[in-house]
Amino acid sequence: MVFSDLLFIFVFIPLFVLSYLAGGWIDKRRISAGDALRRPLLARNIALVIFSLLFYAWGEPIYVVLMLVSVLVNFICGRLMGAWDKKLWRKVWLFIGVALDLGILGSFKYLGFFAGALAEFGISVDVPQIALPIGISFYIFQSISYLVDVYRRESPVQRNFLDLLLYIAMFPQLIAGPIVRYGTVAAEINNRTVSLSDITDGSYRFFIGLGKKVVFANIMGEVATRLIGGDLTHLSTAGAWIGIVAFTIQIYFDFSGYSDMAIGLGRCVGFHFPENFNHPYTCTSMTDFWRRWHMSLGSFFRDYVYIPMGGNRRHQALNILTVWFLTGMWHGASWNFIIWGLYFGLIIMLEKYTLLRWRVPRPLLHLYSILLIIIGWGMFYFEDFSRMTQFYRAFFFGGEGSGIPFDVQSAVMDNLWLWIAALLLCLPVRSVAARMADRLVDVSPSAGGHLVLFTRAVIAVSILVASVALLVGATNNAFIYTRF
Amino acid sequence: METKNNSISGKGMPDAKRKKLRGATGAAHKLYIVLVAAVFVALTAVFLFMPRTTYSELEKRELATFPDMGKLLSAPAELTAEISHWFSDSEPFRDDFMTLSMNIRNAFRYTYGSPEEVVTFRPSETPVADASVTEPGDGEPQEYTNNLTADENAKIANSGIIIVGTGDNVRALMAYGGSPNGGQGYIDAVNAYAETFPGVNVYAMPIPTATEFYLPEKAAKCSKPQRPTIVNIHNKLSSKARFVDAYSALAEHVDEDIYLRTDHHWAPLGGYYAARQLAHVAGVPFRDLSSYERHVVHGYVGSMYGYSKDISVKNAPEDFVYYTPKGIDYTTTFVTYNTNKEYKVTGESKPYKGTFFKHYKDGSGGAYCTFMGGDQLLVKVETGTPGSRRLLIIKDSYGNTLPGYMFYSFNEVHVVDFRYFTRNMKKYVADNKITDIVVAFNIFNAYGSAAPAKIKRFLSQAGGTYAAPDKEEPRHKEDSAAQNVPSKQAEQPVALPEAVVNDEGVGNQTGEDADRETDNSGAIESFL
Repeated sequence: MVFSDLLFIFVFIPLFVLSYLAGGWIDKRRISAGDALRRPLLARNIALVIFSLLFYAWGEPIYVVLMLVSVLVNFICGRLMGAWDKKLWRKVWLFIGVALDLGILGSFKYLGFFAGALAEFGISVDVPQIALPIGISFYIFQSISYLVDVYRRESPVQRNFLDLLLYIAMFPQLIAGPIVRYGTVAAEINNRTVSLSDITDGSYRFFIGLGKKVVFANIMGEVATRLIGGDLTHLSTAGAWIGIVAFTIQIYFDFSGYSDMAIGLGRCVGFHFPENFNHPYTCTSMTDFWRRWHMSLGSFFRDYVYIPMGGNRRHQALNILTVWFLTGMWHGASWNFIIWGLYFGLIIMLEKYTLLRWRVPRPLLHLYSILLIIIGWGMFYFEDFSRMTQFYRAFFFGGEGSGIPFDVQSAVMDNLWLWIAALLLCLPVRSVAARMADRLVDVSPSAGGHLVLFTRAVIAVSILVASVALLVGATNNAFIYTRF
Repeated sequence: METKNNSISGKGMPDAKRKKLRGATGAAHKLYIVLVAAVFVALTAVFLFMPRTTYSELEKRELATFPDMGKLLSAPAELTAEISHWFSDSEPFRDDFMTLSMNIRNAFRYTYGSPEEVVTFRPSETPVADASVTEPGDGEPQEYTNNLTADENAKIANSGIIIVGTGDNVRALMAYGGSPNGGQGYIDAVNAYAETFPGVNVYAMPIPTATEFYLPEKAAKCSKPQRPTIVNIHNKLSSKARFVDAYSALAEHVDEDIYLRTDHHWAPLGGYYAARQLAHVAGVPFRDLSSYERHVVHGYVGSMYGYSKDISVKNAPEDFVYYTPKGIDYTTTFVTYNTNKEYKVTGESKPYKGTFFKHYKDGSGGAYCTFMGGDQLLVKVETGTPGSRRLLIIKDSYGNTLPGYMFYSFNEVHVVDFRYFTRNMKKYVADNKITDIVVAFNIFNAYGSAAPAKIKRFLSQAGGTYAAPDKEEPRHKEDSAAQNVPSKQAEQPVALPEAVVNDEGVGNQTGEDADRETDNSGAIESFL
């Protein structure tokens, strides 16, 4: 199921809310009967797990079994680590668990890719046609995070299968992140509270994400598809630029919108997921960009690959290239993603020894970063190399025709206010608004609070109504990152 | 600016904000929750309890129905996808939500410059006098220079549809992507008819669409010219077949309302000029518009609104003007085809008598079904006009306007739609003593290979072969298009020509690649 699907918003959510409230009522009775001291949230957690499985099964009725098996494997490995407490044995179980996780990921995501790569070298292999289970890259990484955190004794072994399933399969973050580390939410599984401000903040965050997706990402996606999604033989330079900038906006609003919705939904049921974005397009270097973009993936690779490999103490260059090779590969079983990852790895390595050591004025640094990011999205957008070449030829060396062709004019002028709003919202407009809101509340918790929350309610409701309208007849509504 | 270190842990800016807002009073939080919940619950109630929409007036198509639960075990993923699709496709008040959506999209637009010269497409109030046609009418189409909309404002809307002009004169045009040497299927089909029926006059009438005449300069690249394809058809026709130059006949009258501005069809007046050209080539008598009564359906908005999803089309309704012959007694006999969901013929009605013209109410979007009530028909008109000439029109929906002008010219007029004909054509022509056959296709169908292939098959197919019906009720009851009621089913819902305008960008169906050409033809054909 997709967050921006009308069925999710108007059927799934209401049913879930009712079940969760019913769970809360049951839990209250259990507590007053005195038999729920250890698991005060059991009924609510059961509701959450059932709805998460439904959520996943709606899109992947078969693969929900795969996910359950994968969680079971990790559960068993975790328990074994707890039971055989010798360092060596812990290592063995960790190794087996991670190998199984990567085995699942490899078989279902990369088998066709590996077979294709072998075929390039003349080794012909039967390429199995396996449909990619949605969200597999996200939940497998969460499983690995669980095993590693337990191995490092940063988190306790999860002794309850339901609770581990809840952590991995929780529908708000199941299919497209953020990649929540086990340690981040472990304590909240059986001990969390929801305050009024959790609900107002969480739901507001959800609506903001919905607006980012439906209003900005979908329309910018249309623009990008119109300009660079079709036949590229007549692509103009202006078309290539405007098209890839539209995609630059689309992918940010699409993915950060999803993260907002996930974080917001999590807040409404008392979970605090990590932030995944921090205004990435305001970055001043590529290193900075990756501290602001898909932060949960970056920190995963930092803590589980880069630092264990030696970080910046031992063969840093190799570590950086490995991380960026994996980052690219994580996105998809296709060479273009690997090249895209290595492209960033290379730039990040170079700028460590150059730009970041020199005194370069910030505006220049910003311009440099944003240009390279935009160029990078071209590698991300085109999986087909001949199309990618066609695109870059028009992008750099001039395409067909001169000036600004009609289709480009139309793409900009017909959505001009949206373009302007999108560019503004790439700046930290929301933190400014939040700071203003804080000041108002400081001055007067009642009047200021009413004003702020009333404004938020108006924004939330406007986004909801506009999204419902814009979703009519929407044809291509899936989130980009659910593919990975 | 946040520090770099807080970015990973998630304990950065939003948390700080959260702590502050917690300071707001509980009453303020409750105000928010009550307001948002009220709207959310209201919308949920609308979605869950209001009747679902079954037909979209804007898009002129039937909406998705709830899928068959039988697939639950055999194809569960398909079933859930269909349920999701059904839920959003058939949402309550769909057309209202869509109108709101288009208004929102329109608000993002920045209109620049003033419309330099507002061109009015004046309705021809007076019947156009029958200028005696002097040219042969079967020659190569003349060049056409656009003096009307060349400087107009233009923009690209949904599906690559080009919107020209502003205000009341908005015109929506569909990009054409055909190459100059296209149309071979159509040429072959017409030549095959000419070969098969040596004693019958066989005419090719490829009809250009409005894009050919009204595309402004700035949007010229968005669509390919249609004339080269039509000239190619003219040049490659066998000597046994004859060409009807509808192109030139239309080009002479582009400052009249020969095309609908808001629909993908031409206007009945355009059909009139093409019919006059046909009569001229065929050498049969023809009456000018003074022999016809003029009717108007006001406030008509056609299919391009739904396709372009552009509010400016809706805001520029037009008059749907059509003409009915005066002082002539004719009888019309219909056979209605039943079709399944894929629009394959599953059966047909007994012949029955009916009215050829159906008048639609003002504001009705289905007014193009004025003629015969739609496409899923086999029609025979006995005109009472003396003589032995009997015309068979093999057509797509463009051809629907033609027969009404032929009653004074032929003793009988038969109308066959290329999508729905279940008999053997040789037998049909012989049984009905047909003397003239015209294949009247708009350029999209004349360019693609699917529609010509179908009519070629008519020559050899055995009579009465039907597809399997759906389990539910057949779509067509006898003459469902009752007077004054725009029949929902009267016209085949037209699928968007995605191959033409979506997948390949605007009008980029180059057609130079032979494989692609055949791939796209089906999609083109289903549009018109």
